[in-house]
Amino acid sequence: MQIGTQTQPTQQAVEFTRPLLLSPAQDWLGWLLGRLGAGVLTAITATSVLAVGLIFLFILREAWPFFQSGHVWEAFGSKQWHPESATAPAFGMLTIFYGSAVVTVGSLLVAAPLGLMAAMLLSDIVSFRVRQAVKPIIELLAAIPSVAYGFFAALVLAPFLQQHLGLPSGANALNCILMLSVMAIPTIVSVAEDSLSSAGRELREASYACGATRAETLIKVVVPAAHNGIIAAVILGMMRAIGETMLVWMASGNATQVPTPWYDLTQSVRTMTATIAGEMGETPKDSQHYFALFAVGLMLLVFSLGLNLVTEYLLSRVRKSSGGHA
Amino acid sequence: MTVNLRLLLNKLFTTLALLSVLLIVAALIGILAPILWRGGSAVVFKDTLEFRRLQLEQFGRGDPQEIEREVHQAAEVRQRAYDLLDRFSAGLDTKDLQTKVRQVHTQVVEQFAGGDMDAQQRRTKTLSRELRDELLEALDTDDAAQAEQHLQNVLSHKDDPLLRQTAAQGFAVIAEQYHSVIKRVDLKRRAEYATALGEVREELCALLGPRLGDPQPALIEKQYGATRWDAAQQHLDRLLYAESWVEQGQGVANKKVRIPRDEQFAGTDLAALFPLLREHSSEMLLPQWTCYWQYFIDDNFSGHYLGGCGPEILGTLLITVLSIVFALPLGVVAAAHLVECAADSLFTRILRTCINTLAGVPSIVFGLFGLAFFVIYVQPRLGLPPGSSILAGALTLALLVLPVIIRASEEAIRAVPRAYREASLSLGASRFRCFVGVTLPAALPGILTGLILSMSRAAGETAPILFTAGIAMGKIPQSLAQPTRTLSYGSYDMAVGDKMAALAPHNQFGMVMTLVAVVLILNIVAIVLRGRLSKRLRGL
Repeated sequence: MQIGTQTQPTQQAVEFTRPLLLSPAQDWLGWLLGRLGAGVLTAITATSVLAVGLIFLFILREAWPFFQSGHVWEAFGSKQWHPESATAPAFGMLTIFYGSAVVTVGSLLVAAPLGLMAAMLLSDIVSFRVRQAVKPIIELLAAIPSVAYGFFAALVLAPFLQQHLGLPSGANALNCILMLSVMAIPTIVSVAEDSLSSAGRELREASYACGATRAETLIKVVVPAAHNGIIAAVILGMMRAIGETMLVWMASGNATQVPTPWYDLTQSVRTMTATIAGEMGETPKDSQHYFALFAVGLMLLVFSLGLNLVTEYLLSRVRKSSGGHA
Repeated sequence: MTVNLRLLLNKLFTTLALLSVLLIVAALIGILAPILWRGGSAVVFKDTLEFRRLQLEQFGRGDPQEIEREVHQAAEVRQRAYDLLDRFSAGLDTKDLQTKVRQVHTQVVEQFAGGDMDAQQRRTKTLSRELRDELLEALDTDDAAQAEQHLQNVLSHKDDPLLRQTAAQGFAVIAEQYHSVIKRVDLKRRAEYATALGEVREELCALLGPRLGDPQPALIEKQYGATRWDAAQQHLDRLLYAESWVEQGQGVANKKVRIPRDEQFAGTDLAALFPLLREHSSEMLLPQWTCYWQYFIDDNFSGHYLGGCGPEILGTLLITVLSIVFALPLGVVAAAHLVECAADSLFTRILRTCINTLAGVPSIVFGLFGLAFFVIYVQPRLGLPPGSSILAGALTLALLVLPVIIRASEEAIRAVPRAYREASLSLGASRFRCFVGVTLPAALPGILTGLILSMSRAAGETAPILFTAGIAMGKIPQSLAQPTRTLSYGSYDMAVGDKMAALAPHNQFGMVMTLVAVVLILNIVAIVLRGRLSKRLRGL
C-alpha cells in the first residue's frame, strides 16, 4: 500500500518520492518474512501455554489413579504414611501437610518483617547510591542455589544448632525455617520495594506536610497505599518457601511425624516436596506409591497456581494505581 | 504524644530497618564465607609427600626424580618409627609367634616323612612335639613366672644332640626372642596393649601409607597415607591420644576422655614412638603449600575421597548450555511477540498468566513433569534408551528458565527507545526487519543479562534433574541420551549420601564451592553488565 503525503495547496510542501512502507510487490521478501515472522512468532510464543498445559496434563495423568483408588480420604485424615508397605500400605498425608505448613509459616514469620523493613529502608530511607549498592547484594542471596543452602544447613548450621542448643539432632524444623527465611527474603524485599516505590510521591509529601515523621509516614500512609504489592510480596515469598525442595530435604530431618507438642520446632519434620524428592527415586513406576507422589505434586501445583493467580491480581492492581499516579 | 517521643520512635524505626538490612547482609556473608573458605581448601592447601606421590603415580604430574629423592629422605625418618613398632609388636603378637612355632614343628615332621623312622628320629619327633606344646603354653599364658618356667624348659634343650641338624633349632630362637620380651612387657596387660597397638598401626598406616615393600592394597585410597597436612594432623592426633568414653551415670551423656598414648604405653619400647612422631611428623610427610588447580578437571576416585570435580563441571556445563539453547530462541521470540505484536488481547493475557504460572511452579514439580513426560513418555517413542538422560534434564530445565528469559528479554526490548524503532520504520523497513535489524541489536545486552542469569539458575537447580538427568556416580557420558553427574546433584549427594565424602570434608565443601563460584561469577557478570547498560540508556 502506498502512503502518499497530503499537501495543502497553499503551502509548499516537501514531496516524498519514496513511500513510507514498501508494497508487497516491491519488497516481496520483506513482506513474506514479515508474514512468516508473525505466524512463527505466534506459534513459538504459544510454547509457554503448551508447556503449562502439558505440565498439568501429565501430572494429572500420573496422579489420577491415586484419586480413583480408595486412598484419597485416608490422605487427608490419617497420619500414617507407609506407602511402600506391601501388606498394609497407608497414605495418610497429614504429617507432610503439617511439615510444609509449619516451615512455610515459620519462615514467613521471620522473613516478612525483616524483608519489609529492608524494603522500607531501601525505598525511603537510604540514598540512591546506597540503594544501588545494597540491591545487588540482596539479589545475590536469591541467586545462591538452594542445594548450596541445603548444604550449609546440613553441614554447618545443623552441627552448630546441635551443639549450642543441646538438641539430639540439628536437622529439624528450626534449621529449615531459618534457612528458608533467608531464601524468601530477597523475593519479599524486591517486590515490596517496587510497590513501595510506586506509591506516589505526593502521598509522602502530603504526609510530611502534615508534620508526620518518616516512620509515621511509612507506616500510616505509604504501607497502606502499597498494601496490595506488599501482600503479593509475602505470597511470592511463601511460594518460594512452599515449593523449595533441596533445602528442606537436607535440613528438616525428614521424619514423618507431627511433633508433640505440635509447635515444637526442635523436632524433625518432613514436607511435601521433600517426600517427592526422597521417595520418587526408589519407587517402581505405576505402583500405588508412585501415583501417590504424583498426587502430592499435583496438590503443590494447584496450590502454587492458586497463589499465583492471587498475586497476579494484586500486582495488576498495584500497576493500575501507580499508572494512575504517573 | 510529645514531639520528642515521636522523634525517638522515628529514630528507632530507622535503626530497626538498618539492622534488618545488616542482618540480611550478615546472613549472606555467614553462608558464603564457610562455603567459599572451606571449599577453597580443596584447591589451595598444604599437601604432603603422599599427595605428590599420588599425583605422580595416578596422573604423571610432578618430577619423578625429585619425588623419588623425597620418598627416600622421608623413608629414613619413617624407618625409625617402624623399627620401634616392630620391636614392640614382636613380643605382643603371640598369634604370629604361635603360628611360627607350629610351622617349625611341621617342618620337623616333614623332614622325617617318607620311609620308616628309626628310633632316634621317633624320639626327636616326640621331643619336638613336647617343645612345641611348652612354647605354645609359654606364649599363651599371661603369668610371667609360668612363661619363664616354660621358656626355661625349652631353652634347656637348646644344645640337645637330638635336635642338631633339624628344623627344631627354630624353637630355641623363638624362645630366646620371647624371653627377652617378657622381661620388658607386663604380660597381664597384653590384651590391652594388643588393642591399642592395632589402633596405632591402623592410624600409622593412614598417616604414612603402607610400608615400602608391603603388598599394595587394591583400593587407591589405601595405597597412600594422608594426602593433606590437615588430615595428617588429625591422624597424628589420634595416634598421640587414645579416646575413650567414660560413663557418667544414667541419663547423662558419656564423657570423652583423651589419654596420651605415652601414658598408655609407658615403660615399653613403643613409648619412644610418640615423641618421635610428635617432633618429626613433618619430616616424614614433607608438607608444602600447593595450588591443586587440577581439582577442576580431575575425575574423582574412591567415591569422592580423592580427586576433583571435573566431570561434574562438564555435566553442569553441558546441561546448562543445552537448556539455554532450547530456551533462548523460544524466550526471545515470545518476548518479541509480547512487545511488538500483541496488543492487550485475550491471547496475551492467557500468555502472561501462563508465563507467571510457569515461573511459580515448584521446581520439584518440574522434576516430576520431566520424569512423566520426557523420560517416560517421549524417550521410548523416540527410540532412546530408557532412564534419565542429559536431554530430558536439559529440556526440563529449559522450561524452568523460560519465564526468566522471557521476562528479561521483554524488559530489554521495551527499554529500547522508541526513536530507534521510528527511525527504522520511517526508512521503510517492515516491522520484522525493524525488529531484527534495529530493536534486537539494541536490546541484545539486556537479553544477554537475562541469559546469564538464567544460566546461573539452570546450573544451580537440583530438584528438576533429580529424576531426569542426575546421577551421583558413574562414567562420563558419551551421548546426550545418558545421565550425567552435575555440581548441584553432587553437592547434594556429598552432603547427605556419600559415606566416603564424609571422610573428606574439603572435597564436600570443594564441590559446593565450585557450584557457588560458578553461580556467583555469572551473577556478578550480569550485575556489571546491567549497570553499564542502565548508564548507557540514561545517556551517561
